Amino acid sequence: MIDKIVDPEKLRHFPPGGGKIELYWLYTSGKAGNEFFRKLREGKFIAARCKKCGRRYFPPRIFCEFDFSETEFFEISGEGCVEAFTIAKLDLNENPMEEIIALIKLEGTDGRILHLIGEAKDVCIGMKVKPVLKKVDEMTGTISDIKYFKPV
Amino acid sequence: MEVEVIKGLKFHKKQDVAIVGAGMTAFKRRMLETGKELSYYAVKQALEEAGLDIKDVEMVVLGSAPDAFDGISLKEEYLLEGAGGCDRPYMRYFVGGGTAVFAPIAGYWHVASGLADVCLVVCEEKMSCCQPHPQSAFKYIWDPILDRPLKPNLIWIFALEMRRYMHVNNVKHEDIALVSVKNKANALDHPCSHVAGKITVEDVLNSEPMALPVRRLDVSPPSDGAAALVMVAPHIARQLTDDPVWVTGVGWNLDTTHWTNRDLYFPRYTAEAARMAYRMAHITDPRKQIDVAEPYDPFDYKELHHMEGLGLAKKGEAPILTKEGVTARDGDLPVCPSGGLLGVGNPISAAMGVKVCEIYWQLAYRAGKRQVAKEVTTGICQAWGDLMQIGTVMVMSNKR
Repeated sequence: MIDKIVDPEKLRHFPPGGGKIELYWLYTSGKAGNEFFRKLREGKFIAARCKKCGRRYFPPRIFCEFDFSETEFFEISGEGCVEAFTIAKLDLNENPMEEIIALIKLEGTDGRILHLIGEAKDVCIGMKVKPVLKKVDEMTGTISDIKYFKPV
Repeated sequence: MEVEVIKGLKFHKKQDVAIVGAGMTAFKRRMLETGKELSYYAVKQALEEAGLDIKDVEMVVLGSAPDAFDGISLKEEYLLEGAGGCDRPYMRYFVGGGTAVFAPIAGYWHVASGLADVCLVVCEEKMSCCQPHPQSAFKYIWDPILDRPLKPNLIWIFALEMRRYMHVNNVKHEDIALVSVKNKANALDHPCSHVAGKITVEDVLNSEPMALPVRRLDVSPPSDGAAALVMVAPHIARQLTDDPVWVTGVGWNLDTTHWTNRDLYFPRYTAEAARMAYRMAHITDPRKQIDVAEPYDPFDYKELHHMEGLGLAKKGEAPILTKEGVTARDGDLPVCPSGGLLGVGNPISAAMGVKVCEIYWQLAYRAGKRQVAKEVTTGICQAWGDLMQIGTVMVMSNKR
Protein backbone atom coordinates (compact mmCIF):
# COMPACT_ATOMS: atom_id res chain seq x y z
CA MET A 1 0.00 0.00 0.00
CA ILE A 2 1.01 3.62 -0.10
CA ASP A 3 1.90 5.74 2.92
CA LYS A 4 0.09 9.09 2.88
CA ILE A 5 2.23 12.06 3.84
CA VAL A 6 0.63 14.06 6.68
CA ASP A 7 1.77 17.19 8.48
CA PRO A 8 3.52 15.86 11.60
CA GLU A 9 3.39 19.28 13.29
CA LYS A 10 -0.39 18.85 13.63
CA LEU A 11 -0.03 15.56 15.46
CA ARG A 12 1.57 16.78 18.70
CA HIS A 13 3.45 19.64 20.20
CA PHE A 14 6.73 20.39 18.45
CA PRO A 15 8.68 23.64 18.73
CA PRO A 16 7.16 25.73 15.93
CA GLY A 17 8.87 25.75 12.56
CA GLY A 18 11.16 22.85 13.40
CA GLY A 19 14.91 23.37 13.19
CA LYS A 20 17.28 24.05 10.35
CA ILE A 21 20.95 23.39 9.83
CA GLU A 22 22.13 26.71 8.54
CA LEU A 23 25.43 25.99 6.88
CA TYR A 24 26.79 26.42 3.41
CA TRP A 25 29.99 25.27 1.81
CA LEU A 26 32.59 26.53 -0.60
CA TYR A 27 33.49 23.51 -2.69
CA THR A 28 36.70 23.24 -4.62
CA SER A 29 37.04 21.23 -7.81
CA GLY A 30 40.60 20.46 -6.71
CA LYS A 31 43.86 20.58 -8.60
CA ALA A 32 42.63 18.35 -11.42
CA GLY A 33 39.19 19.96 -11.54
CA ASN A 34 40.72 23.40 -11.71
CA GLU A 35 42.61 22.42 -14.84
CA PHE A 36 39.59 20.67 -16.36
CA PHE A 37 37.21 23.62 -15.97
CA ARG A 38 39.83 26.11 -17.14
CA LYS A 39 40.25 24.12 -20.36
CA LEU A 40 36.49 23.78 -20.71
CA ARG A 41 36.23 27.56 -20.93
CA GLU A 42 38.42 27.27 -24.05
CA GLY A 43 36.05 24.60 -25.39
CA LYS A 44 38.61 21.86 -24.78
CA PHE A 45 38.23 18.56 -22.94
CA ILE A 46 41.00 16.88 -20.99
CA ALA A 47 41.37 13.48 -19.38
CA ALA A 48 44.23 12.08 -17.26
CA ARG A 49 46.40 9.05 -17.95
CA CYS A 50 48.12 7.14 -15.14
CA LYS A 51 51.86 7.22 -15.76
CA LYS A 52 52.17 3.66 -14.43
CA CYS A 53 49.18 1.58 -15.50
CA GLY A 54 47.91 3.76 -18.35
CA ARG A 55 44.31 3.89 -17.06
CA ARG A 56 42.63 6.94 -18.61
CA TYR A 57 40.55 8.89 -16.12
CA PHE A 58 37.65 11.11 -17.04
CA PRO A 59 36.96 13.46 -15.35
CA PRO A 60 40.73 13.94 -14.88
CA ARG A 61 42.49 13.31 -11.54
CA ILE A 62 45.99 14.09 -10.33
CA PHE A 63 46.58 10.52 -9.15
CA CYS A 64 45.59 6.97 -10.01
CA GLU A 65 43.41 5.47 -7.32
CA PHE A 66 44.64 1.93 -8.04
CA ASP A 67 48.41 2.34 -7.89
CA PHE A 68 48.84 5.82 -6.39
CA SER A 69 50.98 7.07 -9.29
CA GLU A 70 50.83 10.52 -10.77
CA THR A 71 48.85 11.14 -13.94
CA GLU A 72 49.38 13.30 -17.02
CA PHE A 73 46.62 15.26 -18.72
CA PHE A 74 45.80 14.79 -22.41
CA GLU A 75 43.21 16.26 -24.72
CA ILE A 76 40.10 14.35 -25.83
CA SER A 77 37.22 15.20 -28.18
CA GLY A 78 34.52 15.30 -25.49
CA GLU A 79 32.31 13.05 -27.59
CA GLY A 80 30.96 9.88 -26.15
CA CYS A 81 28.49 7.07 -26.27
CA VAL A 82 25.34 6.48 -24.19
CA GLU A 83 25.76 3.35 -22.04
CA ALA A 84 22.54 3.65 -20.03
CA PHE A 85 19.71 6.16 -19.68
CA THR A 86 16.55 6.96 -17.82
CA ILE A 87 13.67 9.30 -18.48
CA ALA A 88 12.96 11.08 -15.20
CA LYS A 89 9.27 11.85 -14.64
CA LEU A 90 9.17 13.03 -11.01
CA ASP A 91 11.63 15.27 -9.17
CA LEU A 92 12.80 14.80 -5.55
CA ASN A 93 9.63 16.40 -4.20
CA GLU A 94 7.52 14.28 -6.51
CA ASN A 95 6.61 17.15 -8.84
CA PRO A 96 6.30 16.27 -12.54
CA MET A 97 9.36 16.80 -14.75
CA GLU A 98 10.77 15.34 -17.95
CA GLU A 99 14.47 14.96 -18.59
CA ILE A 100 16.65 12.34 -20.24
CA ILE A 101 19.53 11.40 -17.98
CA ALA A 102 22.35 9.31 -19.38
CA LEU A 103 25.55 7.60 -18.39
CA ILE A 104 28.00 8.59 -21.10
CA LYS A 105 31.31 6.86 -21.82
CA LEU A 106 33.82 9.41 -23.11
CA GLU A 107 35.75 8.47 -26.23
CA GLY A 108 39.45 7.81 -25.73
CA THR A 109 39.05 7.33 -21.96
CA ASP A 110 38.01 4.66 -19.48
CA GLY A 111 35.68 7.12 -17.76
CA ARG A 112 31.97 7.88 -17.80
CA ILE A 113 29.91 10.81 -16.59
CA LEU A 114 26.32 11.45 -15.70
CA HIS A 115 24.70 14.10 -17.87
CA LEU A 116 21.55 15.27 -19.61
CA ILE A 117 20.61 14.49 -23.18
CA GLY A 118 19.17 17.40 -25.18
CA GLU A 119 17.98 18.05 -28.74
CA ALA A 120 17.08 14.38 -29.10
CA LYS A 121 13.81 12.89 -30.32
CA ASP A 122 14.83 9.49 -29.13
CA VAL A 123 17.61 7.95 -27.10
CA CYS A 124 19.15 4.49 -27.21
CA ILE A 125 22.11 2.64 -25.79
CA GLY A 126 25.11 3.00 -28.08
CA MET A 127 23.99 6.42 -29.33
CA LYS A 128 26.92 8.73 -30.13
CA VAL A 129 26.65 12.10 -28.43
CA LYS A 130 28.64 15.32 -28.28
CA PRO A 131 28.72 18.06 -25.65
CA VAL A 132 26.99 21.43 -25.90
CA LEU A 133 28.75 24.00 -23.74
CA LYS A 134 27.32 27.06 -22.02
CA LYS A 135 28.56 30.49 -23.07
CA VAL A 136 31.84 31.32 -21.33
CA ASP A 137 30.29 34.15 -19.30
CA GLU A 138 27.61 31.75 -17.98
CA MET A 139 30.14 29.13 -16.86
CA THR A 140 30.55 28.65 -13.10
CA GLY A 141 33.17 25.90 -12.89
CA THR A 142 30.83 22.95 -12.37
CA ILE A 143 29.74 20.08 -14.59
CA SER A 144 26.75 22.22 -15.62
CA ASP A 145 29.20 24.25 -17.74
CA ILE A 146 28.33 21.49 -20.17
CA LYS A 147 24.65 22.26 -20.94
CA TYR A 148 23.87 18.75 -22.19
CA PHE A 149 24.99 16.17 -24.70
CA LYS A 150 23.22 15.92 -28.05
CA PRO A 151 23.20 13.25 -30.74
CA VAL A 152 26.14 13.49 -33.17
CA MET B 1 46.74 -17.49 19.28
CA GLU B 2 48.56 -15.33 21.76
CA VAL B 3 46.19 -14.76 24.65
CA GLU B 4 47.01 -12.33 27.36
CA VAL B 5 44.55 -11.88 30.19
CA ILE B 6 45.15 -8.76 32.20
CA LYS B 7 43.17 -8.09 35.35
CA GLY B 8 39.84 -6.58 34.47
CA LEU B 9 40.48 -6.64 30.74
CA LYS B 10 39.91 -9.45 28.28
CA PHE B 11 42.70 -9.15 25.81
CA HIS B 12 43.14 -11.70 23.08
CA LYS B 13 45.63 -10.76 20.45
CA LYS B 14 46.63 -12.69 17.37
CA GLN B 15 49.77 -10.70 16.68
CA ASP B 16 51.69 -7.60 17.70
CA VAL B 17 51.26 -4.39 15.71
CA ALA B 18 54.07 -2.19 14.44
CA ILE B 19 54.04 1.24 12.85
CA VAL B 20 56.50 1.53 9.97
CA GLY B 21 55.58 4.74 8.17
CA ALA B 22 53.69 7.99 8.56
CA GLY B 23 52.90 11.03 6.47
CA MET B 24 51.02 14.29 6.68
CA THR B 25 50.26 17.35 4.57
CA ALA B 26 50.86 20.91 5.65
CA PHE B 27 48.02 22.10 7.88
CA LYS B 28 46.48 25.34 6.61
CA ARG B 29 43.46 26.64 4.76
CA ARG B 30 43.86 24.69 1.55
CA MET B 31 41.37 26.20 -0.86
CA LEU B 32 42.68 24.49 -4.00
CA GLU B 33 42.90 20.79 -3.21
CA THR B 34 39.98 18.49 -2.55
CA GLY B 35 39.99 16.23 0.51
CA LYS B 36 40.79 13.31 -1.78
CA GLU B 37 43.86 15.07 -3.11
CA LEU B 38 45.05 15.93 0.42
CA SER B 39 44.59 12.30 1.49
CA TYR B 40 46.58 11.13 -1.52
CA TYR B 41 49.57 13.34 -0.54
CA ALA B 42 49.60 11.98 3.02
CA VAL B 43 49.21 8.34 1.93
CA LYS B 44 51.95 8.63 -0.67
CA GLN B 45 54.36 9.97 1.96
CA ALA B 46 53.48 7.28 4.51
CA LEU B 47 53.89 4.46 1.97
CA GLU B 48 57.23 5.86 0.82
CA GLU B 49 58.48 6.05 4.40
CA ALA B 50 57.32 2.47 5.00
CA GLY B 51 58.86 1.23 1.74
CA LEU B 52 55.52 -0.22 0.63
CA ASP B 53 53.33 0.09 -2.45
CA ILE B 54 49.58 0.71 -2.29
CA LYS B 55 49.15 -2.83 -3.66
CA ASP B 56 50.71 -4.19 -0.44
CA VAL B 57 47.93 -2.61 1.63
CA GLU B 58 45.32 -5.17 2.66
CA MET B 59 42.79 -3.03 4.53
CA VAL B 60 42.17 0.68 4.96
CA VAL B 61 40.77 2.61 7.90
CA LEU B 62 39.53 6.14 7.35
CA GLY B 63 39.08 8.69 10.10
CA SER B 64 37.12 11.84 9.39
CA ALA B 65 34.94 13.82 11.77
CA PRO B 66 31.55 15.43 11.04
CA ASP B 67 30.28 15.36 7.45
CA ALA B 68 29.17 18.94 8.13
CA PHE B 69 32.75 20.23 7.69
CA ASP B 70 33.25 19.01 4.14
CA GLY B 71 29.55 19.41 3.33
CA ILE B 72 29.37 15.91 1.88
CA SER B 73 27.13 13.26 3.41
CA LEU B 74 28.80 9.86 3.74
CA LYS B 75 32.13 11.50 3.07
CA GLU B 76 33.94 8.19 3.56
CA GLU B 77 32.82 7.11 0.08
CA TYR B 78 33.79 10.52 -1.32
CA LEU B 79 37.27 10.24 0.22
CA LEU B 80 37.79 6.58 -0.67
CA GLU B 81 40.00 7.03 -3.72
CA GLY B 82 42.46 9.35 -1.97
CA ALA B 83 42.61 7.02 1.02
CA GLY B 84 43.52 4.04 -1.16
CA GLY B 85 40.32 2.29 -0.12
CA CYS B 86 39.32 1.09 -3.56
CA ASP B 87 39.12 -2.69 -4.08
CA ARG B 88 39.82 -3.63 -0.47
CA PRO B 89 38.04 -3.72 2.90
CA TYR B 90 37.60 -0.08 3.89
CA MET B 91 35.80 1.41 6.86
CA ARG B 92 35.35 4.84 8.37
CA TYR B 93 35.52 5.47 12.10
CA PHE B 94 34.67 8.75 13.74
CA VAL B 95 34.24 10.04 17.26
CA GLY B 96 34.61 13.77 16.63
CA GLY B 97 38.04 15.10 17.61
CA GLY B 98 38.81 11.79 19.30
CA THR B 99 39.07 10.29 15.80
CA ALA B 100 42.69 11.50 15.61
CA VAL B 101 43.66 8.61 17.90
CA PHE B 102 40.59 6.40 17.46
CA ALA B 103 41.20 5.73 13.74
CA PRO B 104 44.68 4.32 14.50
CA ILE B 105 43.13 2.29 17.34
CA ALA B 106 40.80 0.81 14.72
CA GLY B 107 43.85 0.18 12.51
CA TYR B 108 45.42 -1.59 15.50
CA TRP B 109 42.56 -4.04 15.90
CA HIS B 110 42.54 -4.78 12.15
CA VAL B 111 46.14 -6.05 12.50
CA ALA B 112 46.10 -7.34 16.11
CA SER B 113 43.12 -9.55 15.27
CA GLY B 114 45.05 -11.11 12.42
CA LEU B 115 42.49 -9.95 9.83
CA ALA B 116 45.15 -7.84 8.09
CA ASP B 117 48.93 -7.86 8.04
CA VAL B 118 49.15 -4.43 6.43
CA CYS B 119 46.61 -1.77 7.33
CA LEU B 120 46.67 1.81 6.15
CA VAL B 121 45.09 4.44 8.41
CA VAL B 122 44.13 7.73 6.78
CA CYS B 123 42.66 10.79 8.48
CA GLU B 124 41.36 13.78 6.54
CA GLU B 125 39.57 16.96 7.44
CA LYS B 126 38.72 19.97 5.34
CA MET B 127 37.22 22.68 7.48
CA SER B 128 37.79 25.73 5.30
CA CYS B 129 34.82 24.95 3.05
CA CYS B 130 32.33 25.12 5.94
CA GLN B 131 30.69 28.56 6.06
CA PRO B 132 30.08 30.99 7.64
CA HIS B 133 32.62 29.42 10.07
CA PRO B 134 33.56 25.81 10.84
CA GLN B 135 32.38 26.51 14.40
CA SER B 136 28.86 26.80 12.96
CA ALA B 137 28.86 23.04 12.35
CA PHE B 138 29.23 22.54 16.10
CA LYS B 139 25.95 24.38 16.69
CA TYR B 140 24.18 21.19 15.68
CA ILE B 141 25.85 18.76 18.07
CA TRP B 142 23.65 19.93 20.94
CA ASP B 143 20.29 18.60 22.09
CA PRO B 144 17.77 20.43 19.85
CA ILE B 145 15.27 20.97 22.69
CA LEU B 146 17.41 21.46 25.80
CA ASP B 147 20.60 23.16 24.61
CA ARG B 148 20.23 24.54 21.10
CA PRO B 149 17.59 27.23 21.83
CA LEU B 150 20.26 28.92 24.03
CA LYS B 151 22.51 29.09 20.94
CA PRO B 152 25.50 27.46 22.62
CA ASN B 153 28.98 27.86 21.23
CA LEU B 154 31.75 25.35 21.88
CA ILE B 155 34.05 28.13 23.05
CA TRP B 156 31.58 28.89 25.89
CA ILE B 157 31.80 25.33 27.10
CA PHE B 158 35.59 25.38 27.02
CA ALA B 159 35.56 28.68 28.87
CA LEU B 160 33.40 27.10 31.59
CA GLU B 161 35.71 24.11 31.78
CA MET B 162 38.86 26.26 31.85
CA ARG B 163 37.34 28.44 34.60
CA ARG B 164 36.43 25.36 36.64
CA TYR B 165 39.94 23.90 36.18
CA MET B 166 41.53 27.21 37.24
CA HIS B 167 39.22 27.56 40.24
CA VAL B 168 39.55 24.03 41.65
CA ASN B 169 43.33 23.84 41.18
CA ASN B 170 44.02 27.50 41.91
CA VAL B 171 45.75 28.05 38.56
CA LYS B 172 46.35 31.46 36.98
CA HIS B 173 45.78 32.23 33.31
CA GLU B 174 49.46 33.15 32.93
CA ASP B 175 50.44 29.60 33.95
CA ILE B 176 48.09 28.17 31.33
CA ALA B 177 49.31 30.61 28.66
CA LEU B 178 52.79 29.03 28.96
CA VAL B 179 51.42 26.01 27.11
CA SER B 180 50.46 28.14 24.12
CA VAL B 181 53.88 29.84 24.20
CA LYS B 182 55.66 26.46 24.32
CA ASN B 183 53.59 24.75 21.62
CA LYS B 184 53.64 27.61 19.14
CA ALA B 185 57.44 27.81 19.55
CA ASN B 186 57.81 24.02 19.13
CA ALA B 187 55.78 24.28 15.92
CA LEU B 188 58.44 26.55 14.40
CA ASP B 189 60.38 23.34 13.73
CA HIS B 190 57.43 21.58 12.08
CA PRO B 191 57.32 21.88 8.28
CA CYS B 192 53.52 21.49 8.29
CA SER B 193 52.63 24.17 10.82
CA HIS B 194 49.76 26.62 10.42
CA VAL B 195 50.19 29.04 13.35
CA ALA B 196 53.73 28.63 14.72
CA GLY B 197 55.38 31.62 16.32
CA LYS B 198 57.52 33.09 19.04
CA ILE B 199 55.01 34.64 21.43
CA THR B 200 54.98 35.64 25.09
CA VAL B 201 52.58 35.06 27.95
CA GLU B 202 51.59 38.73 27.66
CA ASP B 203 50.68 38.21 24.00
CA VAL B 204 48.27 35.46 25.06
CA LEU B 205 46.76 37.45 27.93
CA ASN B 206 46.30 40.50 25.73
CA SER B 207 44.92 38.65 22.70
CA GLU B 208 41.33 39.09 21.58
CA PRO B 209 38.82 37.84 24.18
CA MET B 210 36.53 35.11 22.84
CA ALA B 211 34.60 33.79 25.88
CA LEU B 212 36.53 34.77 28.97
CA PRO B 213 38.86 33.45 30.19
CA VAL B 214 39.43 32.02 26.68
CA ARG B 215 41.32 34.40 24.38
CA ARG B 216 42.36 34.02 20.76
CA LEU B 217 45.87 32.71 21.50
CA ASP B 218 44.51 30.12 23.94
CA VAL B 219 42.85 28.38 20.97
CA SER B 220 44.02 26.29 18.02
CA PRO B 221 42.88 27.33 14.51
CA PRO B 222 40.58 25.39 12.17
CA SER B 223 42.86 23.87 9.53
CA ASP B 224 42.64 21.61 6.49
CA GLY B 225 44.92 18.62 6.23
CA ALA B 226 45.44 14.89 6.03
CA ALA B 227 47.65 12.34 7.74
CA ALA B 228 48.40 8.67 7.15
CA LEU B 229 49.96 5.79 9.04
CA VAL B 230 51.03 2.28 8.03
CA MET B 231 50.43 -0.47 10.61
CA VAL B 232 51.83 -3.95 10.01
CA ALA B 233 52.26 -7.40 11.52
CA PRO B 234 55.65 -8.34 13.03
CA HIS B 235 56.80 -10.51 10.11
CA ILE B 236 56.17 -7.60 7.70
CA ALA B 237 57.84 -5.10 10.03
CA ARG B 238 60.97 -7.26 10.13
CA GLN B 239 61.27 -7.13 6.33
CA LEU B 240 60.94 -3.35 6.25
CA THR B 241 62.95 -1.93 9.11
CA ASP B 242 65.25 -2.71 12.00
CA ASP B 243 63.47 -0.20 14.23
CA PRO B 244 59.69 -0.42 14.05
CA VAL B 245 57.59 1.27 16.69
CA TRP B 246 55.16 -1.05 18.48
CA VAL B 247 51.68 -0.22 19.64
CA THR B 248 51.67 -1.56 23.18
CA GLY B 249 48.34 -0.31 24.47
CA VAL B 250 45.10 1.23 23.28
CA GLY B 251 42.16 2.58 25.23
CA TRP B 252 38.98 4.53 24.76
CA ASN B 253 36.17 5.58 27.03
CA LEU B 254 33.08 7.77 26.95
CA ASP B 255 31.67 9.85 29.77
CA THR B 256 27.98 10.81 29.89
CA THR B 257 26.49 12.91 27.08
CA HIS B 258 24.89 15.02 29.82
CA TRP B 259 28.05 17.07 30.07
CA THR B 260 26.39 19.47 32.52
CA ASN B 261 26.29 16.58 35.01
CA ARG B 262 30.06 16.21 35.06
CA ASP B 263 32.54 18.09 37.20
CA LEU B 264 34.51 19.69 34.42
CA TYR B 265 37.75 20.21 36.33
CA PHE B 266 38.99 16.65 35.64
CA PRO B 267 38.71 14.61 32.37
CA ARG B 268 37.47 11.26 33.65
CA TYR B 269 37.03 10.01 30.06
CA THR B 270 40.78 10.37 29.51
CA ALA B 271 41.69 8.80 32.85
CA GLU B 272 39.54 5.73 32.10
CA ALA B 273 40.82 5.42 28.52
CA ALA B 274 44.39 5.68 29.82
CA ARG B 275 43.70 3.06 32.47
CA MET B 276 42.68 0.62 29.72
CA ALA B 277 45.76 1.40 27.60
CA TYR B 278 48.12 1.23 30.60
CA ARG B 279 46.83 -2.20 31.63
CA MET B 280 47.53 -3.45 28.15
CA ALA B 281 50.96 -1.81 28.02
CA HIS B 282 51.90 -2.89 31.57
CA ILE B 283 52.34 0.69 32.69
CA THR B 284 51.88 1.21 36.40
CA ASP B 285 53.61 4.57 36.89
CA PRO B 286 52.99 6.68 33.79
CA ARG B 287 54.97 9.68 35.04
CA LYS B 288 58.11 7.51 35.27
CA GLN B 289 57.48 5.08 32.42
CA ILE B 290 56.36 7.49 29.69
CA ASP B 291 59.17 9.39 27.99
CA VAL B 292 57.28 11.65 25.59
CA ALA B 293 53.61 12.65 25.34
CA GLU B 294 51.23 14.19 22.84
CA PRO B 295 48.03 14.93 24.75
CA TYR B 296 45.24 16.64 22.82
CA ASP B 297 45.74 20.41 23.02
CA PRO B 298 43.02 22.27 21.07
CA PHE B 299 43.15 24.80 23.92
CA ASP B 300 46.17 25.50 26.12
CA TYR B 301 44.42 24.44 29.36
CA LYS B 302 43.41 21.16 27.66
CA GLU B 303 47.05 20.03 27.47
CA LEU B 304 47.29 20.43 31.26
CA HIS B 305 43.83 18.92 31.83
CA HIS B 306 44.69 15.90 29.69
CA MET B 307 48.17 15.45 31.23
CA GLU B 308 46.40 15.10 34.56
CA GLY B 309 43.84 12.72 33.05
CA LEU B 310 46.66 10.59 31.64
CA GLY B 311 48.32 10.46 35.05
CA LEU B 312 51.42 12.27 33.76
CA ALA B 313 50.84 14.83 36.50
CA LYS B 314 48.84 14.83 39.69
CA LYS B 315 45.65 16.90 39.76
CA GLY B 316 46.70 20.54 39.61
CA GLU B 317 50.35 19.67 39.04
CA ALA B 318 50.55 20.02 35.23
CA PRO B 319 50.89 23.84 35.29
CA ILE B 320 53.78 23.51 37.75
CA LEU B 321 55.58 20.99 35.52
CA THR B 322 55.07 23.35 32.59
CA LYS B 323 56.42 26.32 34.50
CA GLU B 324 59.49 24.35 35.58
CA GLY B 325 60.24 23.42 31.95
CA VAL B 326 59.66 19.70 32.52
CA THR B 327 57.35 19.58 29.49
CA ALA B 328 59.71 21.46 27.17
CA ARG B 329 61.31 19.60 24.30
CA ASP B 330 64.54 19.30 26.28
CA GLY B 331 62.72 18.59 29.55
CA ASP B 332 62.29 15.38 31.50
CA LEU B 333 58.79 14.78 30.10
CA PRO B 334 58.48 16.52 26.71
CA VAL B 335 54.82 17.27 25.99
CA CYS B 336 53.59 18.19 22.49
CA PRO B 337 57.10 18.38 21.00
CA SER B 338 55.41 18.58 17.58
CA GLY B 339 53.90 21.95 18.43
CA GLY B 340 50.52 20.29 18.87
CA LEU B 341 47.22 21.62 17.66
CA LEU B 342 48.01 25.03 19.13
CA GLY B 343 51.06 25.42 16.91
CA VAL B 344 50.77 23.06 13.96
CA GLY B 345 47.00 23.40 13.53
CA ASN B 346 43.76 21.59 14.20
CA PRO B 347 42.24 19.70 11.28
CA ILE B 348 40.12 17.61 13.73
CA SER B 349 40.73 13.96 12.74
CA ALA B 350 43.90 14.75 10.77
CA ALA B 351 45.39 15.88 14.09
CA MET B 352 46.57 12.26 13.97
CA GLY B 353 49.59 13.81 12.22
CA VAL B 354 50.70 15.66 15.36
CA LYS B 355 49.57 13.02 17.83
CA VAL B 356 50.04 9.41 16.68
CA CYS B 357 52.42 10.17 13.78
CA GLU B 358 54.53 12.46 16.01
CA ILE B 359 54.96 9.84 18.75
CA TYR B 360 55.88 7.32 16.05
CA TRP B 361 58.47 9.73 14.61
CA GLN B 362 59.84 10.51 18.08
CA LEU B 363 60.20 6.82 19.04
CA ALA B 364 61.70 5.97 15.63
CA TYR B 365 64.16 8.89 16.05
CA ARG B 366 62.81 10.37 12.82
CA ALA B 367 61.50 13.67 14.20
CA GLY B 368 64.43 15.70 12.86
CA LYS B 369 64.64 19.15 14.45
CA ARG B 370 61.73 18.24 16.71
CA GLN B 371 63.48 15.19 18.21
CA VAL B 372 63.34 15.47 21.99
CA ALA B 373 66.63 15.73 23.87
CA LYS B 374 66.20 12.72 26.14
CA GLU B 375 66.45 9.07 25.17
CA VAL B 376 62.96 7.72 24.45
CA THR B 377 61.44 4.26 24.70
CA THR B 378 57.76 4.77 25.45
CA GLY B 379 55.37 7.45 24.28
CA ILE B 380 51.70 8.23 24.61
CA CYS B 381 49.21 10.16 22.54
CA GLN B 382 45.62 11.03 23.25
CA ALA B 383 42.68 12.77 21.65
CA TRP B 384 39.32 13.98 22.85
CA GLY B 385 36.01 14.40 21.11
CA ASP B 386 32.34 13.64 20.54
CA LEU B 387 30.37 15.92 22.87
CA MET B 388 33.54 16.64 24.92
CA GLN B 389 33.17 13.14 26.35
CA ILE B 390 35.48 10.62 24.67
CA GLY B 391 39.09 9.91 25.51
CA THR B 392 41.16 7.92 23.01
CA VAL B 393 44.65 6.82 24.01
CA MET B 394 47.51 4.95 22.36
CA VAL B 395 50.76 3.87 24.02
CA MET B 396 53.73 3.03 21.81
CA SER B 397 57.23 1.75 22.40
CA ASN B 398 60.33 1.16 20.34
CA LYS B 399 60.95 -1.99 22.43
CA ARG B 400 58.68 -4.93 21.80
